[in-house]
Amino acid sequence: MDLERKNFWKRVITKRGMGQVITVTFGLIILCAVFGVINPIFFSQKNVGNLLRQIAPILIIGIGQSYVLITGNIDLSIGSVVGMSCMLSATLMTKGTNPWTAVFITVVCCLLIGFVNGVLVAKFKLPPFIATLGTMTMARGIAQIVNNNYNTDSIGDAARGFRNFFYYGSTLGLYNAVWIAFVIWFIFNFILGKTRTGRHIYAVGSNIDAAKLSGVNIFSTTTKAYLVSSFCSCIVGLIICATSGMGTMDAGNSYEMYAVAASVIGGVSTLGGRGILLGTVIGASIWGVLQNGLQFAGAPVAIRNIVIGIIVIVSVLLDIVVRNDKLIRRKGLMASAKQKGAENA
Amino acid sequence: MSEYVVEAKHVCKSFRGIKALDDVYFNLKSGEVMALLGENGAGKSTLVKILSGVYTRDAGEIYYYGKQVGHIDPQVAQELGVAIIHQELNLCPHLTVAENIFLGRELTSSGLLSDKEMNRQTAELLEKMDLDLRPDTIVGDLSVSKQQMVEIAKAISTNARILIMDEPTSALTSKEIDFLFATINKLRNEGCGIIYISHRLEELKHIADRVTIMRDGKYILTSEFSDISMDEIIANMVGREIKEKFPRIELNRGKKIFEVKNLNAGRMVRDINLELYEGEIVGIAGLVGSGRTETTRAIFGADPKESGEIILDGKKVTINNPRDAINAGIVLVPEDRKKDGLCTRLSISENISLPNLDFLCDKLGILSSKKEERLVNKAVEELQIKLADVQADAASLSGGNQQKIVVAKWLARNSRVVMFDEPTRGIDVAVKVEIYNIMNDLKRQGIGVLFVSSELPEILGISDRIIVMCDGRITAELDRNEATQDIILKYATMFENKIQSTKEA
Repeated sequence: MDLERKNFWKRVITKRGMGQVITVTFGLIILCAVFGVINPIFFSQKNVGNLLRQIAPILIIGIGQSYVLITGNIDLSIGSVVGMSCMLSATLMTKGTNPWTAVFITVVCCLLIGFVNGVLVAKFKLPPFIATLGTMTMARGIAQIVNNNYNTDSIGDAARGFRNFFYYGSTLGLYNAVWIAFVIWFIFNFILGKTRTGRHIYAVGSNIDAAKLSGVNIFSTTTKAYLVSSFCSCIVGLIICATSGMGTMDAGNSYEMYAVAASVIGGVSTLGGRGILLGTVIGASIWGVLQNGLQFAGAPVAIRNIVIGIIVIVSVLLDIVVRNDKLIRRKGLMASAKQKGAENA
Repeated sequence: MSEYVVEAKHVCKSFRGIKALDDVYFNLKSGEVMALLGENGAGKSTLVKILSGVYTRDAGEIYYYGKQVGHIDPQVAQELGVAIIHQELNLCPHLTVAENIFLGRELTSSGLLSDKEMNRQTAELLEKMDLDLRPDTIVGDLSVSKQQMVEIAKAISTNARILIMDEPTSALTSKEIDFLFATINKLRNEGCGIIYISHRLEELKHIADRVTIMRDGKYILTSEFSDISMDEIIANMVGREIKEKFPRIELNRGKKIFEVKNLNAGRMVRDINLELYEGEIVGIAGLVGSGRTETTRAIFGADPKESGEIILDGKKVTINNPRDAINAGIVLVPEDRKKDGLCTRLSISENISLPNLDFLCDKLGILSSKKEERLVNKAVEELQIKLADVQADAASLSGGNQQKIVVAKWLARNSRVVMFDEPTRGIDVAVKVEIYNIMNDLKRQGIGVLFVSSELPEILGISDRIIVMCDGRITAELDRNEATQDIILKYATMFENKIQSTKEA
């Protein structure tokens, strides 16, 4: 029993990218402590609730981007799909479509973008940066065209249930948006860690040739990752629509980069094959805490952007430095031990 | 004044607490070829990396030309005239031959690159080396052996006096090896000191003047090559005597398992017909680029086929992708383990289970970690893979053990036909024998074994039947009793006589 438990922990720690997750978790705790000291309201029940609701969308798109990054690709279309989802659902609802029908249509359309990404990258071997740059521009165009280049009017009373479900309502003391993020994380974390599809996603990102020769279907695996990404973007678009009660054409602007940031801070490698979704949770949380905490501290948006940019670089740098430092310290110890040995001799 | 151009004493080096080099001694004279021998993980590569400044030593003294040198980094090594030709090629594939040779020390006039001058000097150098290459060819378009020659040319162009070659022949054909040896001999006669690392012991008699043997990070001995027998060398490398270099088991040929009819796939696979029977190992011999790898890949469905039938146990099977082949029971252990065999950033356990997820997962595709653990432990035990932890990255293993992982992942499932492509490239004698034993086990179990190899002794030593390929065609099928190196080479170079046919036409 004891041995089994030991093995379990060993496995947890040696798990891919766990090292950085531990490092940044400490960072997150320190950040929270600092903001808590600066402003005690930071830890008030109301603010924590708000904070979690701020983190939720970043976490959701982060999960999508993490999937794609682990396959060794990138999805630049995330932000535009968020916008497209927001505009499409809002337009349908203002035209009198049943909100849930509208949600269904929106999800299907967004998944179509993910499918196109998968086809372009895995079937036609386009560089993922170029392929998703194309679909990014297209999806933004779709967001603009659906309501003739205007933001929509209010989606109205008929959509009250929709708005409560995605944002305003709360269950067991937590906002629904937070629940949605949690459920999405739970499902996709399970798929990534415990299923065949998940294992294939890591294999494709680690060595695409070896994966192919091991019988992994590269096309379907890559496409699945892009579908997850566009599904997550779609949900965030719906959350934004529910939040503001209308469709805005520039919703989700540059979210794809926020998603990269959340993933990378959490230890997902942009080279593929490495990273876990727990890391993405921490990455998204650091993002949210910084936004929220700096806002409380009265820092203007410009300063927030600069700080977050620095954090992205530092968090990855920290991981590299910590790893090198360990090596250097070992080397130092080794050398001094050798010297002592030589002196004794 | 010392007679040695390089002398190393008491050199130690550890990685993460594991001693890679322990009190190692080494020397090299000018105008000689010193063969540095040892199994995988014996510390040969670590030693030459220390000599060339890639790694810093933990302790020990190093003398160049009789003078003690303290800190060595790659720049210092270059100034000392040390050049290393790595196992993996270090060229920029998108640049030309001349650009690669002058990389980092480009010639300029008034701040602009003088391409003309660099190309001219490169052409001179290539001519001096008798290389049939143009300075403005893109390196990525060259064959591996030509790239290696470019690498050697690059080393020579820096006026290197001490040349280190780490497994230079592992990717070369026998003709190219002859050429390499001629180049090495020429350099030796010009007074270069050459450190030569190789696993192919049979090569040594052509070039080695002296040998240094290492084992488990320790220095074992240095000897004149003429004073030591091959058996002594092997015994000192392995630490024990290897009785049979090519263990063979005799079995009666059983029923036909597998048949390929009229397989065509591009220029390198033309009208291939072959059969496999129970209780035999079939070797495919040929030069590099003769279409052997392409044939196995086409059978396996990794590359598209144009036409042809594959018949397994009397039934025709359709194979459009590797998954089809795996499901039918045909598997391929690929040639290049780093490129095609392993996901180096995944754990050992994940690598072994990757092709076997179909029976490790339930209907919903959820992975059973218990089944996975059982499968991995069984594989590790059966193949005697030496490792600390199955959760460690596959990259952390030595070459021989990595190769065993690549083999293990395919043996974990019940297959009917196992194809090996160069299964023993770059691994040491002891592991080679283990791989042969695995092949023999499969043969005993009645599984069809097809293996591709460029090493003729291995082909002759292990196979029951030999298929020779040349230029995408099968040129001969030989029984092992009638096959010799000469006969195989004759068929391996039976190119279609294109010149004559154009004359007639």
